[in-house]
Amino acid sequence: MSAGEGRELRANADDRLERWLGKTLGAGTMLATALLALGLLLQFAGVGAEVSDRLSRAGLIVLMATPVARVLISVAEYAGQRDWPFLALTLTVLGMLMVSFLLGVG
Amino acid sequence: MALTSILFLGGIAAGGLGSLLGLGGGVFLVPLLVLVMDVPMRVAVGISLTTIIATSSVTTSGSVGRSLINLRLGMLLEVATTVGGLTGGLVAVLISQRRLQQLFGVVAAAGAAIMLSRLGKRNVLLDPAAEPGRLGGRYYEEESRGVVTYQVKRLPLALFVSLAAGSVSSLLGIGGGMLKVPALNAWCGVPLRAAAATSAFMIGVTATVGAVIYYGRGEIVPWMAAAAILGVMVGSRAGFRIGAAASARWLKLLLAIVLVIVSILMFLRAR
Repeated sequence: MSAGEGRELRANADDRLERWLGKTLGAGTMLATALLALGLLLQFAGVGAEVSDRLSRAGLIVLMATPVARVLISVAEYAGQRDWPFLALTLTVLGMLMVSFLLGVG
Repeated sequence: MALTSILFLGGIAAGGLGSLLGLGGGVFLVPLLVLVMDVPMRVAVGISLTTIIATSSVTTSGSVGRSLINLRLGMLLEVATTVGGLTGGLVAVLISQRRLQQLFGVVAAAGAAIMLSRLGKRNVLLDPAAEPGRLGGRYYEEESRGVVTYQVKRLPLALFVSLAAGSVSSLLGIGGGMLKVPALNAWCGVPLRAAAATSAFMIGVTATVGAVIYYGRGEIVPWMAAAAILGVMVGSRAGFRIGAAASARWLKLLLAIVLVIVSILMFLRAR
């Protein structure tokens, strides 16, 4: 395999990864928005303050979990490509996220 | 109920203004919450961070397929932004509200200066036959009617700016794109559109690191965040439409003026 072919393969894999990441981020945001909007609607309607608070919290958790899912997918993709430098980089970012979750929510 | 509506409308205004030039809504949302609604600085920063995550996810999923996002450069620089974000989030409690407001004033003034210095600049694009190198990229550009290629230069500088942008993000609740985009563009060879798209891709993870810490400290009020996030989502969509049609020169001038006013008001509040 020539250097040019290798680069092309990598570019195709990156395109596929970008599409996957886009779908994940889009779906996560949609779910989070739905939960947050529902929570606010219930608050406006004045029914179940506790339910509305839980929905808003769930929405926030989904929102914050979405970028984590994005990093997880990148980790899996680079592991599959056997791209060790980028696997190490994405794992480091994942590690930072885990530390913040441990300090914050955990 | 009245507060929820104000937050929602404020989110629309902040998101709209921010997305006009890809600054993100935070630089306008935080002053709005602090100066107009009298919200404590750290609560405002926490809310702003959650809106940044939403903006990043929406912008990224919307720009897929145009090859503007430089995934590899983004993932490399994210290591620096998340280290900065984690540090900023932890250090924020040790800094007084007054100091944070002053810092915000400084950053807003710097943003205005950057905006003014770039009034007439158009981006330099390399020869399409050039090789992008390990971290560079290629994408189709409308204005040039062809595929443009660029190489990434001065990587250590890009990493340093990303570290600073990450800390500022968690300390002040702004995305950090205000620092990264001009630096990547002016010093590191990344075309403006690619720099903006890559920065928008990175700020989601960066803001999450900070937001989770604020959330854990109980500084994010769920219903307030919900109202602001929904507002910002509506506003940034509208901002994109207007931004595409409006003159970039006047937009930059307008935003620079707004940033100067924000900076002065923040300093006055911090006295």
